[in-house]
Amino acid sequence: MSAEVVWVWVGAFLTLCILSFLYRDNPFYRFGEHLFVGVSNGYFVAFMFHRVIRPVMLEPFWGAVQTAGESGLSWELFNPIAPQNFLLIIPGLVGCLYFTRFIPGTQWMVRIPIGIFMGYYTGLSVPAYFEGTVFPQMRGTLVTQSDFSAAAGSSSIDGIWALVVLLGVLGTLSYFFFSREHKGIWKVGAKTGIVFVMVGFGASFGFTVMARVSLAIGRFLFLLRDWLGVIS
Amino acid sequence: MRVSNWMNIDRRWIFLAMGLAIVVPLLLPMRLPMGVQEPTQGLFDAVDAIDPEKQCLLISSDYTPQTEAENHPMTVALLRHAFARRIPVISVVLYIEAAGLIDAAVKQVMAEFNARATTHADSIIYGRDVAFLGWQPPPIVPILSMGESITGIYPVDFYGTPSDSLPMMARIQDYDDVGIVAALSSSSSPLWYVMFAQTKFGVPVGAGCTAVMAPDFYPYLETGQLSGMMGGMKGAAEYEVLVERNFGITDRARANEGMGSQSIAHVVIMAFVVVGNIAFFATRRKEGQA
Repeated sequence: MSAEVVWVWVGAFLTLCILSFLYRDNPFYRFGEHLFVGVSNGYFVAFMFHRVIRPVMLEPFWGAVQTAGESGLSWELFNPIAPQNFLLIIPGLVGCLYFTRFIPGTQWMVRIPIGIFMGYYTGLSVPAYFEGTVFPQMRGTLVTQSDFSAAAGSSSIDGIWALVVLLGVLGTLSYFFFSREHKGIWKVGAKTGIVFVMVGFGASFGFTVMARVSLAIGRFLFLLRDWLGVIS
Repeated sequence: MRVSNWMNIDRRWIFLAMGLAIVVPLLLPMRLPMGVQEPTQGLFDAVDAIDPEKQCLLISSDYTPQTEAENHPMTVALLRHAFARRIPVISVVLYIEAAGLIDAAVKQVMAEFNARATTHADSIIYGRDVAFLGWQPPPIVPILSMGESITGIYPVDFYGTPSDSLPMMARIQDYDDVGIVAALSSSSSPLWYVMFAQTKFGVPVGAGCTAVMAPDFYPYLETGQLSGMMGGMKGAAEYEVLVERNFGITDRARANEGMGSQSIAHVVIMAFVVVGNIAFFATRRKEGQA
């Protein structure tokens, strides 16, 4: 029996363990669930160490230590983009502050790496979100002459869809506008908006059903083809 | 059984019905007509328009084994398309769990093409035609850094080979040398490429996503920020059809194998929704009479 066959059997057993939950909760399901969590975490930690921490931080830092031992200290060993440098230990130590939450009295220090991380991502994400999503989507909502122009490659139906999109955006925004009571024109807008919101929910639900069925198909294909071999 | 009692049906009967709706079409395959939708055609056309002499296809496979059934056929179909046109392929993953899957996909499609190859030039050679650069965290850093230097952020490939020693990387420096980024994802990674790579470096982006995520991406198709999209297993099946139709590649098409089950399962679900609504209104009427 080849190694591949053994792993197919392991995969099939674990698939059946998880699917057994459809009947009711049972020890086989819980075994599969706990094994999945453990293996995922173990895989992540091992991969992270061998692919990131060791080659990106430890080896360059150790290389700098060895170079300093052989040739003495030089400014090049403090160049942040040099392949061997001492500065890499700084982000490494800042990252280690995450573990201070396990040491009584030093828990406050965990805020330092969290603050750096949040600041970095917020600074990076906010302008990118406006540039990549808010402004282009606002432009996409505007109805222009080119939406109706055959010269611009549009047909009359494109123009109608552009109007529907505009109506949907205005209606949905007025539905979620809570600073005024939904009366008069606001009521009309909110009623229109809720129709679009419900259609959106329906579309999302349909796609979700499709996705879950696809995943079930994938597992049954594995069981019937790779494990049992009843389909070619 | 009275209609009002349908609301109390044991849900395991529904699971059994769904199981049968999926298994029976797999055992008795049916060939249903397959139309190709505009978003999938858009992605195919964008990849097909790449000049192999000047640019490459960057496939970012950002999914985990949970969504393998939907996303993995997309990776395989894109690799077949690129290899058929001799478009160089750079493959990366933003999720660590995808690494093993993509390693297997690259080797599988290389083996398919090399089994048919008659000359060295016909063959798909690792490093000349394809490079799997692996994973670098956190996701936004490689997305941004590839705009300046791909080998800079991926100094070694997945197998530990220095990436600048791979022949194809001599002419592929950054996003200027990428025809399109195909981000195949179970999350929002196509939008990360739009927000961080497209806005800053102008690289075209296409998406391959799970069906759950597809509604989130349609607005980006409308604005032209996404050149095309494969939505769920259906999108993957459409791409497989396009590759088969245009290049005569008839290797295993996993997404297509599931389309019969998908259609029957949808019919069964629709039937359950109708039955459930009838039972709901019958129950309400009965309660009103009481």
